[in-house]
Amino acid sequence: MRLSSSQENAVLASPVVLFLLALLGFPVVLSVVYGFSEANFQALMSPTFVGLENFHLVLNDIGFWNAAWFSLRFAVITAFLECALGLFLAVYLAPLIRNHGWMVAVLIIPMIVAPAMMGLMYRLVLHEFAGPIPFYFYQWFGWSPSFLSAKTVFQTIIVVETLQWTPFAFLLFMAAYQAIPQEIREAASVDGTRPWRMFWKIELPQMLPTLFVAGFIRFIDGFRVFDNIYTLVGAGPGGSTTSMSIYIYETFLRRGEIGKAMAAAILLFLVAFLVLALGQYLMRRSQ
Amino acid sequence: MTISRMLICSAALSVLSAGAAQAEVTVLGWPGGPEEEALRAVAEIYNAKSDVAEEDKVELLFTSRDGFFDKLQVDLAAGSNAFDANLIATYSIGRYAPYMEPITLSGEASAVFGDTVLSTMQFDGAQYGVPTDLSLHFLYYRSDLIDALMADDAAKARYGDISEEYLGVRLEPKNPDEWTWQDFVANALYFSQSVNPDSPTRYGTVIQMKNLLFNMMVFHSWPRSFGANWMDDAGNITVDSEAYRNALETVKMLYDAGATPADSTSYEYAEANAAYSAGQVAAMVQWNAAAGELKGAQAETKTVAPPTGPEARFTHIHGLGLGLNAAAENKDGARAFLDWLSTEEAALAYARSGGAPGLAGETVVKLAEERPDLVQVGDYASNYGFVMNGGTSENALSVYEAQAKEFTGYWAGTQSLDDAMSNISATMNELLK
Repeated sequence: MRLSSSQENAVLASPVVLFLLALLGFPVVLSVVYGFSEANFQALMSPTFVGLENFHLVLNDIGFWNAAWFSLRFAVITAFLECALGLFLAVYLAPLIRNHGWMVAVLIIPMIVAPAMMGLMYRLVLHEFAGPIPFYFYQWFGWSPSFLSAKTVFQTIIVVETLQWTPFAFLLFMAAYQAIPQEIREAASVDGTRPWRMFWKIELPQMLPTLFVAGFIRFIDGFRVFDNIYTLVGAGPGGSTTSMSIYIYETFLRRGEIGKAMAAAILLFLVAFLVLALGQYLMRRSQ
Repeated sequence: MTISRMLICSAALSVLSAGAAQAEVTVLGWPGGPEEEALRAVAEIYNAKSDVAEEDKVELLFTSRDGFFDKLQVDLAAGSNAFDANLIATYSIGRYAPYMEPITLSGEASAVFGDTVLSTMQFDGAQYGVPTDLSLHFLYYRSDLIDALMADDAAKARYGDISEEYLGVRLEPKNPDEWTWQDFVANALYFSQSVNPDSPTRYGTVIQMKNLLFNMMVFHSWPRSFGANWMDDAGNITVDSEAYRNALETVKMLYDAGATPADSTSYEYAEANAAYSAGQVAAMVQWNAAAGELKGAQAETKTVAPPTGPEARFTHIHGLGLGLNAAAENKDGARAFLDWLSTEEAALAYARSGGAPGLAGETVVKLAEERPDLVQVGDYASNYGFVMNGGTSENALSVYEAQAKEFTGYWAGTQSLDDAMSNISATMNELLK
């Protein structure tokens, strides 16, 4: 028997669909079930349905709002910095990269490092007695900033995150910049357009959709940050570096409040989904 | 090979491996340190015994330290029978007790370990584990610096001025074994360049203040010596006390004065040790496990018990041990191994292989030459060891976590002491009710 094209597609796609259902679908369903249940490690197999109580608990927990505020600030600042720096590098280094393609490989190295490893690495690099950066500060100035003190830790983790993920924005912008037809630039040059005006009025508008995509991806990634902060400074003094993901992790494993943790995870998912939907809507409008 | 043959072969292998799992005692140990080496050594001795049946031989299982207790909790809660005996720790016994079974120790256990050490493995009056390793705190100090200070009259006068300015009382330098917490503070200030620019070290002490439960354990020796406890005998939460407030305020004063690095709020065990090892710290309270590292890095380092307070001298103790998984497939075999592990023969072998059991009486005397550090550990555990009321309860781990969050918040200046006390009282009332 010969299959139709659509039947063939369905058959070929089915292993991937089944794989995703098993690996993603099942945990999602389980999370939703636990999110609406009273569940802890003692009653892992027999959760009791409690309706919206977990969501009520989460939304009345000051720790949740502190984590949400931290994540929001962190995501907005890092997404902005990564996009701004990535854009600058993509445009500024474009002539160099055209002639030396290998530079791209060097520039994206930070992105290849596992975020948890990045946190551990900076934990060593910034340590006052073992780290090279404070060492040279003391050598040259007889003093060193305390990079991980309560007053400066937020700025430090912003820098660490920005250093790691600027290459991601850079890659997207580089591709978008190179995709702008050369004829447009040549025509503008013939008309006497200066470089800054060319960038502002011609190149940047062409790159706007990519800018939106990069910004939203980095925002969502920043909002759910976990690994590098957790390995670098943990939840922070008084919970001052507790992101949404760290809040969920600690609520789940450290406090054993599985239902509450899952409710917070569902809220995090909804926020990410809404931001993504908003991003798509804005992109369609800009096009 | 056809698919049907492959299926038959894999089914046969599964049956065989399942049989093998039932025919031995699987012990989940603490991986990657002297504890693993010691456990391997005693398991070998046990397995070589002629009276241990083939089906009761011990097979060891190690995973990784990262997230060990989180993974163990999930395994136990899911009723895993992948192991018959597993590691437990003092502060998590209550959490794991619902998935474990109490055990009976050998008749020698009380004499070998002493009652204080045995209590680190008890919950609700039942013994849940054999104590294998004991952790407590030493005061580490640079004897070269202290000796120089005590021999110099001008330095002593400066020491007195600093103590008067910061503590309101004029103190004389003393031998660290006679220190009160006030002496510890005066010493920390004197050896800090932010307070005394002539200090030979950058900091007088290093306090690990990261929001981490283990750091709370190190801190607790301090308020306890002022009489602090989590609960009174009637079960009332007593954390909001002068004892806690005094210790918390003094730590904050030291942090604000620059007597401990500004990054201390992100320090845990490794970072604090690195600071001391760099030769820029005069004295610190740290786990006994750091003795080798710190003495190796700073040869003039000596150790004594933590300073004394108005109530007495105390050191927080917690132990690692091995207990019985309620879902174990070979309970009898596991019980037999745990029973033997609590004998003097096993304890001595464990200590000689690098473990750090808290031993008492005649047993520790037998190790005096080979392991002098264990004599100190045994001595301090018996004389100064304490576990807070509720320290082995179901939510003890969460209490430490909550204290870490609130107290570090106060130290870092993100909240007031009153707010920290109010928050932790409410949380502990909830957790220990």
